[in-house]
Amino acid sequence: MRDRSILGRGLTLLAAGLVFLFAAGPIVLAGLGSVIPDRALFGDGGLFDYGLVFDNYRYIFTGELPDAYLTEGANRAMISDAARQVPQSLLNSAIISLSAMVLNILLGAPAAFAFAQFRFRGKKASFMYLILSPLVPTVALVVPFFVIIDSLGLLGTRLAVILVHTARALPFTVLILSLFYRRIPAEIFEAARIDGASRWTRMVRIALPLALPSIGATGLFAFMLSYAEFLFAMVLSGDAGSRPLSVVMAALARNTDVSWSLLNTAIFIAVLPTLALVVLVWRFVVEGLLAGASKG
Amino acid sequence: MGAHRRALAAGAAAIGLALATNPASAEDVTLEFVVWNYSLDTILDNVAKFEAANPGIQVNVTDYTWPDYHDSLVLRFRSGTQTDVIYAGQDWLPGWAAAGFLAPLNEIAPEQIEQWKAEMAPFTVSDMTHDGNIYGLPYYADTISLVYNAKILEEAGIAVPETWDDLMAAARQLKADGMEHPIVYEYDQELPNFFDAFVAQVYGRGGDLFDAEGNAIFDDPSNAAYQQLEWLQQAVGADLVAFESHESTIIPAMNTGNHAFTIVYNYVLAAMNNAAEQPRAGEFALAPMPGDAHATLGFTKFYAITAAAAADPAQREAAWKFLEFMAGPPYDVAKRWAVEKGLGFGQLPLLQDPDVIAAWEGWVDMEVLKQQVETARAGTWTEWTSMWSAFFRPLMAQAMVGEAEVADVMRQGAQRWNEMKEQFASR
Amino acid sequence: MTREGGSGYPWLWVAPALLPVLVFTLYPVGQALWTSLHNVQLLFPMVTWAGTGNYERVIASDYFVTGLINSAKMVLVAAPSVVALGVLIALLLSRRFIGRGIVRAVILLPWALPGAITAVLWVWVFNPSWGVLNGLLRWLGLIDRSIPWLTDPALAFASVAVAHVWSQIPFAVVLVMAALATLPRELMEAATVDGATAGQRFVHVIFPQIRAIIVVLLVYNALVAFTTYDVVYAMTGGGPGTATSLLSFQIWRESFSMYDFGSGSAVAFIVVAISGLMIFAIVKALPSDLFADG
Repeated sequence: MRDRSILGRGLTLLAAGLVFLFAAGPIVLAGLGSVIPDRALFGDGGLFDYGLVFDNYRYIFTGELPDAYLTEGANRAMISDAARQVPQSLLNSAIISLSAMVLNILLGAPAAFAFAQFRFRGKKASFMYLILSPLVPTVALVVPFFVIIDSLGLLGTRLAVILVHTARALPFTVLILSLFYRRIPAEIFEAARIDGASRWTRMVRIALPLALPSIGATGLFAFMLSYAEFLFAMVLSGDAGSRPLSVVMAALARNTDVSWSLLNTAIFIAVLPTLALVVLVWRFVVEGLLAGASKG
Repeated sequence: MGAHRRALAAGAAAIGLALATNPASAEDVTLEFVVWNYSLDTILDNVAKFEAANPGIQVNVTDYTWPDYHDSLVLRFRSGTQTDVIYAGQDWLPGWAAAGFLAPLNEIAPEQIEQWKAEMAPFTVSDMTHDGNIYGLPYYADTISLVYNAKILEEAGIAVPETWDDLMAAARQLKADGMEHPIVYEYDQELPNFFDAFVAQVYGRGGDLFDAEGNAIFDDPSNAAYQQLEWLQQAVGADLVAFESHESTIIPAMNTGNHAFTIVYNYVLAAMNNAAEQPRAGEFALAPMPGDAHATLGFTKFYAITAAAAADPAQREAAWKFLEFMAGPPYDVAKRWAVEKGLGFGQLPLLQDPDVIAAWEGWVDMEVLKQQVETARAGTWTEWTSMWSAFFRPLMAQAMVGEAEVADVMRQGAQRWNEMKEQFASR
Repeated sequence: MTREGGSGYPWLWVAPALLPVLVFTLYPVGQALWTSLHNVQLLFPMVTWAGTGNYERVIASDYFVTGLINSAKMVLVAAPSVVALGVLIALLLSRRFIGRGIVRAVILLPWALPGAITAVLWVWVFNPSWGVLNGLLRWLGLIDRSIPWLTDPALAFASVAVAHVWSQIPFAVVLVMAALATLPRELMEAATVDGATAGQRFVHVIFPQIRAIIVVLLVYNALVAFTTYDVVYAMTGGGPGTATSLLSFQIWRESFSMYDFGSGSAVAFIVVAISGLMIFAIVKALPSDLFADG
């Protein structure tokens, strides 16, 4: 991996550039679209005839109308106030997704360890049940889920969405983590067993640090599954106070009083904090711990 | 709806008691009002005004997004979640009324309903009627028309199309002059609008899909619907038509200047002509639906009271007061929607209202619109219409792109309609 | 390997994960199964036993074969693409290069977007009349007529598949990178010292170590491609014609557009049966000790 030719390096950079374009291209578009008014985007003039306009950001956060709405011929009321739900929904989504992530790790990690390292009656059956349960498509389960949540009195709360997202992600968490746990060499545990470490100590002291990158990855998976999930979020969450981002964004994508640039502003606002969060988790938790683990 | 709202209600209640005009205010009633969240701020403000004027009645607003509204309500009905007043639509009414979800208003307030009916557009009354009962008061009503880019037509020396042949000729001419797709069309077989727009076109020709007994008759090649589907297939086949999957992207598409015609609801025109956002605002105009009749489809969304709410006297009284406030004379709330947001209305006196005219003149020719509203007809809404439309739309979509024959599609569609009619008759 | 047997103690470890899953599967799946065997139509209050009637009706319907073929195509195109691109990108991002941190962060972006937004962004790219792609090609002088990305049947399918793959890649990358990160460093160094090429190193050293993860990813992505429809339907509504109509969408359609919850549930269990077969086939085709009891 060290001695690479200039050509090799060049190819790596080229490939990285392509990956960057593919992954970020559409979101860069959204960023551009959020500061270039529709008049410039779809009109005959240049893209930057009106400069970069940040009025939509101001509108979403403060409710102050974009200046363009004060001009003649403008319909001052024809701007969607649904866009102003974005900041609150971002908070709702953060709470819901982080809770789902933490619950998944807390509930899933011990189970995955047990499946990977212990032998017990009913193990195969329960493991198969877990990993086959997500096979039933969510759409078919909407009505019974709604009934359960309603009977628990949780309809219209963030807790309802957290519970359902946690339950939906758990099978994947357990499956993936147990795969990682299985790959931990048996000798390490053998040594610990001779030392007299209990099962709990073995998991916490030995397996956990070794599996941290994968716990980070699966936690991220649970977070994202929850963050982007729409169907249950739509059905179970209530009004703007508990409604997550995916539901608000789906509405904005379809409302006629949402201009293209307002929609793109909402998309960009939705993406940025997520990106920050994801980078934090990825860089400092996963990679940081990984570096520590390989040194020690 | 927290402390602020309660404080407001308490204040209003105090005033009410002081004036001693409303002895019922001692007993608190809470209404669950379920809406789709088009301009929620306006809805909440209207509700706050109602609460201030009606001490003792508290209104909780639950909003869903429009694409999910119908399914969310079905779920609420299925699971018995408390729901008192709702937004309803003409297409859902027969099913919901037949399933016993809604309460007839003519049993709650017969006199007012009889009086107010006279001032509503005929299609609005029809849209809110099922089995001879009236189930709603209008929230908003609208029509579907041909929208064109007046500047492009003028520069090309093309007259506003009167018939479908005119439109085809105009599109061909524009195409010959270098416009790739002169017509842009909302094409998404999963959206009810896709069928509604088609019905509007059939009405433009002066035809109907069903006879007086409600039987499907469009499998006949001389039927207007049959001819219109052939027209669409031909226009798509000649590569005159670009598809957009939703009206919200028709707005920017028309504003690129790459298209000259589209068929949309009137409120879409308001958005296209909004100078705050659109580069070609002011270039777009309304033409009555092409065809000999120039008629079109009108539709109405309305406030309805659930059967569950009507079963309880206190809830029923409060719910009716609420409807009266939102949609009864002098139509202040409907007028507010029209002036501020450009929403159409079912209450005809508002067409003459100077404030409405002043607000609308900026984006639509009021004379043309009046003509279109007056010729608008209601759709044929039955218990099975929306189910059948869900069955028929994909077939229609296939015929449009030439994947299926018009004759086959129309035969299958008519057959299924008549089967469903039979099935429901013998229920 | 050390795997203790016997006692019920491990159940204490398993229960916190198993119980929530049981609560949210036993009743809902049972209820859905019951529904699929009954005539449950919203507008007909009488619920009657249907036996296999709903299943027969679904299989005989117009949409079934087209939907199944399109869904199968989606699986065959999307699942291998996601996994292959995921592995390639993960390998790339394990190398050192300038700006690696940025690319590593950015690759996660598509993951965070709900389907409706993914669709909006890709419509902007692919829209025939005002899309960015046609604009770019025009500007480069490569085309003088717009390419009908979303209105030509074959192109429409390819376009929605690109959007779908785009949204699924981050998870594959993260998982493979996590697997690569836990590889013993000595293994990699030994292979490098042996003078193995990058390709040889991957086939002989890396792949065997991450095979289980690759199988899981393949299965997961086959399942996702077979059961999700939100991005596709927000982009094309299943059109033009039937070009992008998917079987899984019919579950929603039968239940909520046709008010026929019995048939909707029947479609769901047909999808379950096919998914089960598919997963079985993938696991068989790529032998691994993944599901062994140890």
